[in-house]
Amino acid sequence: MNWYIRRTLQALLTVYGVITFTFVLIRIMPGGPMESMRAQLIQQHQGSLTTEDMERINRIVETRVNIDPDQPLYTQYVDYVSSVLTGDLGQSTWHQAPVMDLLIERLPWTIFLMGSSITLSFALGITLGAIMAYKEGTILDVGLSSYSTFMTSVPYYVVAVLLVYFLGYQWDYFPIQGRMAPQTTPGLNYPFLAGVAYHLVLPVISVVITGMGGRALAMRGNSVRVMGDDFIRVARLRGLKPRTIAIQYVGRNALLPMYTNLMLAVGFMFGGAIILEEIFGYRGLGQLMYSSIGNRDLPLMMGCFLLITMTVVIALFIADLTYGKLDPRVQSGERHESF
Amino acid sequence: MSHSDGEPTPFERVAERETSRTDYYREILDRNVVAPLRILISDTRGLFGIGSILFFVFLGTVGVWLTNQPESTQYILLPPFQDAAHPLGTGRYGNDVLLQLIHSTPFMLQMIAGGAVYNITMAVIVGTFAGYKGGRIDEFLMTIVDMIIAVPALPLVIVLAVIFEPTNPIVVGIVITLPSWAGLSRALRSEVLSVRTHSYIEASRTMGLPTASILRHEIIPNLMPYIMINFVNAARRVIFASVGLYFLGVLPTSGIMNWGVIMNTAYETGSLYTLDTAHWIILPMIMVVWLSYGLIMFGQAADKVYNPRLRARHATTMTQETARTEEAES
Amino acid sequence: MKERLHDKSNAQQTQDPIYQVRNVSVAFDMDRGTSRVLDDIDLDIERGEILGVVGESGSGKSMFADSLLNAVVSPGQLGGEVIYNTEDGQSVDVTELTDEELRKFRWQEASMVFQGAQDSFNPTRKIRTHFVETLDAHDADIEDGMDRARELLSDLYLEPDQVLNSYPHELSGGMKQRTLIALSMLLDPEVIVMDEPTAALDLLMQQSIVRLIREIKGKYDVTIIFITHDLPLLAELADRLAVMYAFEFVEIGLTDGILEEPSHPYTRALLNSTPNIFAPVEDMTAIEGSAPDPVNVPTGCSYHPRCPMATDACVESDPGYYETNANHGVKCHYWEDVDNAIPLQVTADETRQVDVPAYGPVAMGTDRTPVLTLDDAEVHFESSQGLFAEPDAVRAVDGISLDIYENEVIALIGESGCGKTTLGKTAIGLQRPTGGSVSFRGQDIWDAKDGHGDVEIPHEAIRQSLQIIHQDPGSAINPNRTVRHTLELPLKHYNDELDMGDRQARILGMLETVGMTPPEDYADRYPHQLSGGEKQRVTLIRALLMEPDLILADEAISALDVSLRVEMMDLMLDLQEIFDTAFLFISHDFSNARYITEKSGGRIGVMYLGEIVEIGTVDEIINNPKHPYTKSLVWATPDLDETGENEDVPLRKIDIPDARNPPSGCRFHTRCPEARETCARKKPVLVGDGGNTHEVSCFRDVPNHEYWDSPELMNDEPSDETPTEK
Repeated sequence: MNWYIRRTLQALLTVYGVITFTFVLIRIMPGGPMESMRAQLIQQHQGSLTTEDMERINRIVETRVNIDPDQPLYTQYVDYVSSVLTGDLGQSTWHQAPVMDLLIERLPWTIFLMGSSITLSFALGITLGAIMAYKEGTILDVGLSSYSTFMTSVPYYVVAVLLVYFLGYQWDYFPIQGRMAPQTTPGLNYPFLAGVAYHLVLPVISVVITGMGGRALAMRGNSVRVMGDDFIRVARLRGLKPRTIAIQYVGRNALLPMYTNLMLAVGFMFGGAIILEEIFGYRGLGQLMYSSIGNRDLPLMMGCFLLITMTVVIALFIADLTYGKLDPRVQSGERHESF
Repeated sequence: MSHSDGEPTPFERVAERETSRTDYYREILDRNVVAPLRILISDTRGLFGIGSILFFVFLGTVGVWLTNQPESTQYILLPPFQDAAHPLGTGRYGNDVLLQLIHSTPFMLQMIAGGAVYNITMAVIVGTFAGYKGGRIDEFLMTIVDMIIAVPALPLVIVLAVIFEPTNPIVVGIVITLPSWAGLSRALRSEVLSVRTHSYIEASRTMGLPTASILRHEIIPNLMPYIMINFVNAARRVIFASVGLYFLGVLPTSGIMNWGVIMNTAYETGSLYTLDTAHWIILPMIMVVWLSYGLIMFGQAADKVYNPRLRARHATTMTQETARTEEAES
Repeated sequence: MKERLHDKSNAQQTQDPIYQVRNVSVAFDMDRGTSRVLDDIDLDIERGEILGVVGESGSGKSMFADSLLNAVVSPGQLGGEVIYNTEDGQSVDVTELTDEELRKFRWQEASMVFQGAQDSFNPTRKIRTHFVETLDAHDADIEDGMDRARELLSDLYLEPDQVLNSYPHELSGGMKQRTLIALSMLLDPEVIVMDEPTAALDLLMQQSIVRLIREIKGKYDVTIIFITHDLPLLAELADRLAVMYAFEFVEIGLTDGILEEPSHPYTRALLNSTPNIFAPVEDMTAIEGSAPDPVNVPTGCSYHPRCPMATDACVESDPGYYETNANHGVKCHYWEDVDNAIPLQVTADETRQVDVPAYGPVAMGTDRTPVLTLDDAEVHFESSQGLFAEPDAVRAVDGISLDIYENEVIALIGESGCGKTTLGKTAIGLQRPTGGSVSFRGQDIWDAKDGHGDVEIPHEAIRQSLQIIHQDPGSAINPNRTVRHTLELPLKHYNDELDMGDRQARILGMLETVGMTPPEDYADRYPHQLSGGEKQRVTLIRALLMEPDLILADEAISALDVSLRVEMMDLMLDLQEIFDTAFLFISHDFSNARYITEKSGGRIGVMYLGEIVEIGTVDEIINNPKHPYTKSLVWATPDLDETGENEDVPLRKIDIPDARNPPSGCRFHTRCPEARETCARKKPVLVGDGGNTHEVSCFRDVPNHEYWDSPELMNDEPSDETPTEK
């Protein structure tokens, strides 16, 4: 049980740390978002500033970023943290709407896009890696290994651009923009779902064919190592069915180290949503964040950053908890003797 | 302890003549430079990797020195392989793509070096220290590392880049990989945990060697294959992230030339719509893939350099007898 | 034991062979030629016997085990015939079976137990699943099968349900090994091949398992092939012995016959080099030379390069089997002459006098200041499980006082987990005690390190004076450095007046002293170019170059082949003479401890769960053990003298209690055959009998103690045994 408590505390601590970090960025950094926003407002004001004007500007800034510069620092901090925790991420300067509302509309789309990309790239990578390991040394293995190695050196956005270029612009097989078919109503109806799936194809493919290689190589390495373990030999001698050995013995034990890989990939891929969504004009969180940069909409940018981070923290937390179910050894945590 | 009587014990033995310094250094050179290079070159991947890296370094130094800055010409959007004056064609503003690629290289290389060195240094320091020291120090450092890992790198980097607008290539390299060392330091730490169970580490502690010296001489050499692979990965990460961010125009592009900026200009001016303009965006992509593939190949081959078995075989200062034993035991 | 042999026929022609192995070879194709790791073997195995196969590491004995189940791992190629005869008279060639037939054959007819029980179970599945899936894979009835599993587990002194519900990592090594034996017998096989099943275990566990194997063999009627490097272990277990050297059997015969009249020079040399607790120490000699490489096996008799009797005939022609009698075959041209050429060590009677030490004896006068003093030292490890868990303390060392004098050799023995290594590391200042003190020539080590009080001897000097040699030569030297580089380190650090040339000269001189010649060649080698024994010599030199006053030898010879151990111990003692050091020698093996202490006139300390329960000279400990635990260790030490006292295990429980929750009173009371009610309540202390070196911590040593009036502890007390976590 302790292990779970530990992981939970760790996740909460991370969330808290990130909120504090954004506060520091907004409030304390000289030339940070808040300063520049005030400068912007003062510039817009034109003419001399009265005290009332200054107060008004401060209030605008406060509603936008949840920080009132007139308060003492610690009060600002407490106010900021509590408003973030209650879901108030301030006001978007560009859209003139609460940041939270904008984010909530986008979030499911990004989770859907990145979730399917991650799942697919891991599922395919792991399967491919397992096949390579079983066929170790054959032409198939050598071929797939070389292919996988090469694909790890291709950035996903390169593939994305090429896919858009050929399958989108040149041959017109897939839509080059958007997240759903026009004139469909969101809901559980076929045209809508089909449209969504259709728009998902290119972005997902570009992530999967570049991301899969690394996972496949890792899985191959793990499987080859596990296949050399004594318990595999004993299992074969015990006459277990090859299928049982492949899945329950080799597969399961080779999969465990892939968790670290997954942890790193979740953050990497969700982060990558910014570039990916922009290339495909996919209206998700990443694209929102990208546009907020162009518009100098700092509250929105910080909101996107916070929300993407939270999503990743939660995803990692779920992964952590399931890992405990897969590996019975993890809960008897050991501490290493200190030198 | 006293050994007053008779023959000197092996303890008290001193040399009858001085060993020649030259011989000593020649041996050092042979083992630490010549043998590793031989190992690298004897492997196709190593040859390709080191060849690619040298090629880009050449491009970024001699290449830049030999050629002019790409300037606007009247030849707009020439396709590649048509005009000997512009072998790789030109862009929308008539600038030579080849020259653009060449003159982008120094920025790329500085940025890659900056980011990769920063990442490896942080990771090695934190990872080995936490792993070796263990106990509470380890727990504390790893809690922080876990927190950093959980924060997705790209959004964080974008936030920082937007706020600080870095332009110096080395600073850019560091900023865009600012939190990446964390994942690597965790991996290094677990390697250290397994290395430190070896009894020769304990033997060194028993000899009273200071922690820094144990880390430097006994632990880090064992991590070298691992560090090399990760160095290469860090370099690759710098390339991917920087080109991606420049491509999107998130990082300030004015007055800067690199592959990402070229792609950005091409993309912004609609290079994607027609086949005629595609070379402008595809050529820098090829450079990106080539360099990162070369780095990966180099990393894989470098693994072998740190294998004492191979090193022993490629060093000429090894005596014949040793070489034979080696042969018999492998 | 002898009566079990009555129904046996002779060695070569068995009456009812379960296995007929004919011309079996295993070859690997390698870059530098074909490696034959099993060379044309012929052997019959009698139904119902225990066949002991003995050989050193790399002799091909595991390949023999694998070939019986046609389980040679590719790219090894198995050639020849392995005929298996079923009880109803059918014969199959195991090498000809299809995959599916082989899958059925294995585990239903013949099963196997490996040395690596630690890794024989899938770490992500419960033990129960392993049993169930095995039954399932062979279409056996699960319920009946699990009943049998429970019976087998309890026959092996395990709590069936507790074990079945555990994950592998929750069981101790001994438990896993026994569970694996139970698993191997689950489908009622005819044959069990056991490949070093006890090698990784403690003496007591080893002996207990050997007894259990014998009992189980009687109860379940199986044929057992027991493969080991440990000849004395087989003396008590096997009906027949087959001695393996260089990938073939050089001698096969009844156990008694081989032990009494070994006819192959190798068998005799092996017997002579085996440390043993009763034979005179000076008779033990190592075998010269090293075992052949499988690619280049010598022509003719493969033993000729090491054999003192070798002639041209041995080089030219490979001896076939000569029959010394109907039950005994030997591959040696000159087997009739071996008696004179290679005399066997005397198996002395148990009450003989201890020899005068060959090396300078240590007077244990009280007027001398000890080099090192442990005063009531305690080391408690907290194994905290996180934020809210109650921390458990493992009392690895619990109040030990010990003096180590100049040039003294002290051997500490005990089962794994008894804290002997922790005690050793505490003694040389690698482990900070959580209580009590450790002082070097009167200076508290940790005060010196922390700078508390008046520091008379600086920490630097203490650090230099206390050195260590580790168990595993493989991990004791940095694989990335040459021998020269490794040995330069201590010299650079402590002897900066030496210039480079002096350092080289000293290193080469030391290499020469330990017999690594030519030293220039060895100095340039990387560790992977050294054999295990050579690596261990390098670590010995590294420690000695620090000019220490005390060296902790932590199981320093346990990883070496049996035939090399005596040689290494002799070298340690030779060097001790030259360099004036004391040794703290840690071992789980009584024979080794006895050898090194008897030769140097040292003492043996016996540890149990963090405490020293008995300490004294070799003679006192071996010939007059007083503590029941020491007695059980002496009992457990395998002995070539196979007059097999078939007594029961002198323990009430074979598993060591959990160190996090040690028993009350005398810690040994849960296993002690002599325990009485007092022992569970009161804690005995280590006391000597009047100025003597012999001290023991047991109420039985105290006349008129209340112990004698208290009732005996019942054997069927409720079990408080929990699986020890590994």
